[in-house]
Amino acid sequence: MNLLGLVRSIWTVQGRLPLDPALTRDEALARLEPLLDHYGTRTVRSGDALAYTKTDPAAQDPLATFDRGSLAIEDSGAGLVLAWRLVSKALLACFLAPLLFLAFAQTAVFIADREAASAKAHPQPEKKKPEPVLYQNPIDKALGAPAPEKPKDDKKKQGGRFKDLSPTPGYVFAGIFAALYVLGRWLEPRLARRRFRRALEGS
Amino acid sequence: MDGVRVGKRVFGTQSPVTIGWDNIPRVEGGPWKRLFFTWFQPAVLFGLLAFWFYAPNSIAKASTAIWIGIGFRVFLLALEKIAPRHESWDLTWKELATDLFYVGLGYTALGIVDHFISSDALIELVRNSYDWDKLAWFTHWPLLLQAFTIVFIFDFGQYWMHRGMHNWYPLWLPHSVHHYITQLNINKGAVGNPLELFLIGLGIGGMFDFLPRAAMMAGAIGMAIGTYQHINVRFNTPRWWRFLFNTTEHHSLHHSRDFESTRSNYANSFIFIDRMFGTCVDGEAELLGMEGGRRMSIREQMTYPFTEGWKTIKERMGRAAPAEAQAVPAE
Repeated sequence: MNLLGLVRSIWTVQGRLPLDPALTRDEALARLEPLLDHYGTRTVRSGDALAYTKTDPAAQDPLATFDRGSLAIEDSGAGLVLAWRLVSKALLACFLAPLLFLAFAQTAVFIADREAASAKAHPQPEKKKPEPVLYQNPIDKALGAPAPEKPKDDKKKQGGRFKDLSPTPGYVFAGIFAALYVLGRWLEPRLARRRFRRALEGS
Repeated sequence: MDGVRVGKRVFGTQSPVTIGWDNIPRVEGGPWKRLFFTWFQPAVLFGLLAFWFYAPNSIAKASTAIWIGIGFRVFLLALEKIAPRHESWDLTWKELATDLFYVGLGYTALGIVDHFISSDALIELVRNSYDWDKLAWFTHWPLLLQAFTIVFIFDFGQYWMHRGMHNWYPLWLPHSVHHYITQLNINKGAVGNPLELFLIGLGIGGMFDFLPRAAMMAGAIGMAIGTYQHINVRFNTPRWWRFLFNTTEHHSLHHSRDFESTRSNYANSFIFIDRMFGTCVDGEAELLGMEGGRRMSIREQMTYPFTEGWKTIKERMGRAAPAEAQAVPAE
């Protein structure tokens, strides 16, 4: 596979499935058509091929992941085969999503750094923080709840203003979407193949 | 469709809904299965409350709550696969990726926005300007009462914000996107336009002082009740639970394609707030969404409130212009 083909395979899925010799081209396509009979799907048949596009496919549409595609009956020499090429915007978006979340993480770092530098350049007079409440209600005490303690590490609290600017969630979701892409690129082509096979078998 | 009359309102004239607890299917199967799906929800709630009440101070901290939250969601995701409520709500790879995208936005982009303009940021600004020690008396209450109060304050505010969203067009626009979901899954609560997610997160709870442990317990209550709003699992929810707390049934009705049904069950955790204000309807629906169940793409979800708002403004101005033109020629 050349480089362009490798890049295309990020969002494109291809496959072939040998047909039952007893099945004619028309019968095979007729069995596949119900797979495309879903909300928002437009299908065009030309000769021995079906092409489709989907707009806002339903969640349970069996080919919802693939926005457009073509299915063709071809003669492989050893018999008829179904060949397909499916295109998925969802796979492409999932492939790119880690970059978006890394960008959010870097934005958080950038803002936190700017605010820290600004706070250093223009130090505000230290406000006297109220002492934490260490009162325990007698009912809680009687029921055996641990008594409140003074927070041990006040140094961590100094970063409190920036606690919602941590890059960690961005990194975590970048990782989650990288894993989701691998899962989807592995799973979805297999599910499509299984659906085509079952449709052709008439099951 | 004839629909079902409840008081002065008729439900299910536009899309099938089930009204009344007696008409809702129950989990079938052996005694262990029925026992599990009957007592799972209360067991988790009381188990978490006991944990946060008795956990040593070294364990009762935010990082523990985060890990419990993640573990709970992963478990419920597995439960959706093992015991789905409706096959038509099955969580596909694309649905999971879409839902997680919104969850991710909530933790990242919305976190950055909240840093500057969330209610907590504004409350911190206000509190730093005045002496609010007088509001510290909540910390003297029993922990459970503090926890309940935190959830109730948030839920009460959210009830009115949510009800406002269904009754005032400018608020409906950002919220409408959330109503285009066509099935309920564990992360569907995060799906919506970021503007709505920001609005629905507003609250005044930050005005008051509570003990950190009470805040953990409040989080546990919210998690152990609110999470079931969006889930594809059927439970034999005990009668007292569904009287007090929001359930998948209540919330599926709220997401129904039947307009009248969507105007019910606004509360997040405490459905008794809906009962207090006469908006609670006990029932469920399987067919969800808007426009006959059209699934909206993420791109459209991001722009829809603005494009629809702009269209509406243009339409109104277009209608207003001839009226003004007619008034002028009198001179």
